Amino acid sequence: MKNRIKVFRAMHDLTQEALAQQLGVTRQTILAIEKGKYDPSLELAFKIARYFNVSIEEVFTYSETQ
Amino acid sequence: MSELTYISDAMKQNTFYILAGIIGLVEVGVFWFSVRYMIPYLITGAFIVGVLLLYLAWRRITDRQVDERAVLINQKAGMATFMVFWVIFFATSLGGAVIGLGAPPLPHFPRPPDERPSGINESIKPFGDGPGLPNESIRPPDDGLIRLGHFGYLQLALLFVMFFLYVGFRIYYARKYGEWESDEEQD
Repeated sequence: MKNRIKVFRAMHDLTQEALAQQLGVTRQTILAIEKGKYDPSLELAFKIARYFNVSIEEVFTYSETQ
Repeated sequence: MSELTYISDAMKQNTFYILAGIIGLVEVGVFWFSVRYMIPYLITGAFIVGVLLLYLAWRRITDRQVDERAVLINQKAGMATFMVFWVIFFATSLGGAVIGLGAPPLPHFPRPPDERPSGINESIKPFGDGPGLPNESIRPPDDGLIRLGHFGYLQLALLFVMFFLYVGFRIYYARKYGEWESDEEQD
């Protein structure tokens, strides 16, 4: 699964730590998601999308090759 | 599930580690005492009390951070440990069962003196030609208990195997899910 969290973070001028605190996870989890090492739960994915005020499809893209 | 879990009450994670070290040292001392005075129940009870104390202390940690990725890593490591360990445990138990099946049937009832094989039914004469001690007065060490004690070594070895398996799988899954990834924001 690909994601554009890093892009949205940059648009909102947010650090990983700040976003992690807002979402109630560790910075390492945000980093792992950005790097594609970890796919978030549906709940966390919705939280991320809602935080950036966009739809979940704009943040996450499902890819068959993954 | 995705939220950090902060438990109220007062204890830092590092304080917990120090406390765990102290409890561990006390357990080693109690183990030595148990061996020295042959009180097996002492270390058994002390270990359970020690684990309970650690659990109560663990609940008071204020800066413990648990999120969904950490939970997933723990779950995966625990399941993988279980899947491998049960095979090792079953194989070891089968070996133990073979030894058990090859042993003489239990219980051992003492035979009357006249039925005992020659050589065993002899009085022990400690000094010269003095009167010998009747063999009923000499009790051999409780062989069953000693063997049970040796079985404890095997159990401890298996527990260490389980522990190292868990640590290995924990490292594997932590790495897989980006525990040690770094980027430009790395401290």
